[in-house]
Amino acid sequence: MMNPISIILIKVLFVFILGTAALIIMQKSLRSLFSIYAIQSLLMAFVSLVLFKETGSFVLLALAVLTVVTKVIIIPYMLNRVRKDSGIHHDAEFRYLTPVSAIIIGMALIFVIYSSFLRVFQLSQDNLFFLGSVIGVSLAMLGMLVIFSRKKIVTKAVGYLMMENGVLLFGVFIAELPFIIELFIIVDLVIFILLAAVLSMGIDSTEEDLTRKLNNLTKWFKQ
Amino acid sequence: MIFLAYLICGLLLLGIAAVVLKWRLKGETAAASKSSFLNNLTLAHAAAYLVITGLAIIRLPLPVLAFNNYLFMDPLAIYEVLIAEIIFFLAAVYGRGYIKNLLERRVIKVESLELFYGSFNLLMVIMVFTFFSNNLALFWILLELTTILSAVLIVTLSDRANVIAALKYVFIASTAMLFSVIGLILLFATAKQTSGIGTLNWTELMLIANSLPPSLFIFAFVFCFIGFASKSGIVPFHTWLPQAYAKAPSMVSAVFSAVLINGGIYGIIRLYSIAHQNSCWHTITVILIVFGVLSIAVAAFSMLPRTNLKKLIGFSSIEHMGLVLIGVGLGTAVTLFWTLFHILAHSLSKALLFFSAGILKNQYESSYLQDMAAAFKLQPLATWGVIIGALAVVGMPPFPIFFSKLFILVQLGNFSLPVLIVVLVLLLIVAAALAYLLINSLTQPGENTLKPYRIDWTMKLPIQVLFVAIIGITVYLAFGLSGILNTITASLGY
Repeated sequence: MMNPISIILIKVLFVFILGTAALIIMQKSLRSLFSIYAIQSLLMAFVSLVLFKETGSFVLLALAVLTVVTKVIIIPYMLNRVRKDSGIHHDAEFRYLTPVSAIIIGMALIFVIYSSFLRVFQLSQDNLFFLGSVIGVSLAMLGMLVIFSRKKIVTKAVGYLMMENGVLLFGVFIAELPFIIELFIIVDLVIFILLAAVLSMGIDSTEEDLTRKLNNLTKWFKQ
Repeated sequence: MIFLAYLICGLLLLGIAAVVLKWRLKGETAAASKSSFLNNLTLAHAAAYLVITGLAIIRLPLPVLAFNNYLFMDPLAIYEVLIAEIIFFLAAVYGRGYIKNLLERRVIKVESLELFYGSFNLLMVIMVFTFFSNNLALFWILLELTTILSAVLIVTLSDRANVIAALKYVFIASTAMLFSVIGLILLFATAKQTSGIGTLNWTELMLIANSLPPSLFIFAFVFCFIGFASKSGIVPFHTWLPQAYAKAPSMVSAVFSAVLINGGIYGIIRLYSIAHQNSCWHTITVILIVFGVLSIAVAAFSMLPRTNLKKLIGFSSIEHMGLVLIGVGLGTAVTLFWTLFHILAHSLSKALLFFSAGILKNQYESSYLQDMAAAFKLQPLATWGVIIGALAVVGMPPFPIFFSKLFILVQLGNFSLPVLIVVLVLLLIVAAALAYLLINSLTQPGENTLKPYRIDWTMKLPIQVLFVAIIGITVYLAFGLSGILNTITASLGY
């Protein structure tokens, strides 16, 4: 049985995580967008830490450390460098959906996920693991909304990262995958972001520039 | 041991490449020598893989498990790997002349050659291990890496349109693949609930398949399906496919449509064979058939207004994957047999089509059908390649797809007659679209201002080999292939 304070703490963290998701949907300044993503990842690491304290599973601790290193430090740093290199600081363009309608659709999605999970898992509504999985999948769906509704590649990449956070949260609450798998998934994520970042710069640059950047990418692969 | 052989082979060649590039060809400006050196290595790599796989088939008692059960070799995996290796080998042969030509026309830059061949070889290694992975999570990671490598291969032709195509591919495929992770986690939890130990190994999941709770398994299957289907271009996750195929260099398009596309379907076949032992298989059958018919429908209607030859071939791949999905979904031993045969026949036909389309593209410097005037006169072999390839993918009688299509459709009729009628009408539209577009474009009289461009024999050879192979596998079906396919079907528990 979990400590009641831990339960309350995790629930509060859930609320904040959903809050950061809403901010990512609406935010136009890229710099703030990356910071919000870093904060969201930090909140995720806290959730893992609280769960580690309760269960004592070291996979959760390792996961928290890995999250902080990659998603709070490395990935936001990489994204910020791309922002500086490309000189793009704002993404004010929305396709298909305005921020407000995206939030409304997002809420509807959360409700649909909540009610369908309630039927499939047949757990009580108060169950923390049930709530965690609902919030996880909802976060993934909200990330997908960002990918759909934003135009700039860098913002889409943040949407993808948010989806991944959601999947991770889902994993933490439903079943811990072996750590090696989690590690590979995160490595994959870093490569993905690297590629997306290089390509997004490629769209705005001339051909010679792109070849040079691709060659830089080769160096990454060779390491 | 055998898995190490695959890895060492790749590493050895990588080492040779690094040393030679650094010392011998240092500062070498002649693009041709660098290109042919890298091509030689790629050829050697592909040939070595064929030899290793050949030895494995002859010597090893299947299935083989290795590396803490993360990797395994069973008849289905070997079959898919063999298809992949044959196509990679032919593409490497074709690439010798093709890349030289691209270099002459300055479509690809000398500096990009290392990146191009490096990614091509790495894609081969990863594709082979994708099929050999026993663990679903490992399978997912490798499949996701193929997306990234494919994107790199598309952008080596540093053109803006290529970057857009690659980004579209990366985002659609990766987003869909994240849903698969949710499916994997659910499957892991389901397995843990059933047997007490969480597992994602195919071999272990097959053992507990009949005791998995059906509703949870369906839920997990649907999530996994989203990602795998996007890798195979199943509607509605297909939107990346035509553009990526059209923009990639033709030797890469051939690999995409003949090898990469099989990766997702392979995952679906494996998952379905687990479902087959479970009481939930009826629901999953319906899901697969719905998406299969949808894919054929969207592909059929998208093919009608096409003007770009490579996009046309791309949509044909979507249609075929729809058919394969129906074959898998029907879930009998007979349909699985013919579906596996269909996968082989489709891979060979698509490779033929893309190799030929590559020559035509180089001739006219365009993939648009209306530009291809006097094609028979300028490039007779490539034109025949397109025609024979088209006849083969439509499923004309002497070609292998005729048989697989016929038997899958007969089984579909047993499942539901109205669905069969709908599919038949759609397939008629596909055939009509292909015939109309090709007859119209390839018979255009030209004023012949163009000179026929001389194609290297290495570009002709794979096309000629594929002509023989396509007819050959129909004959081989009667003399041994059917035995192999029966073994695979039996190994999946049908």
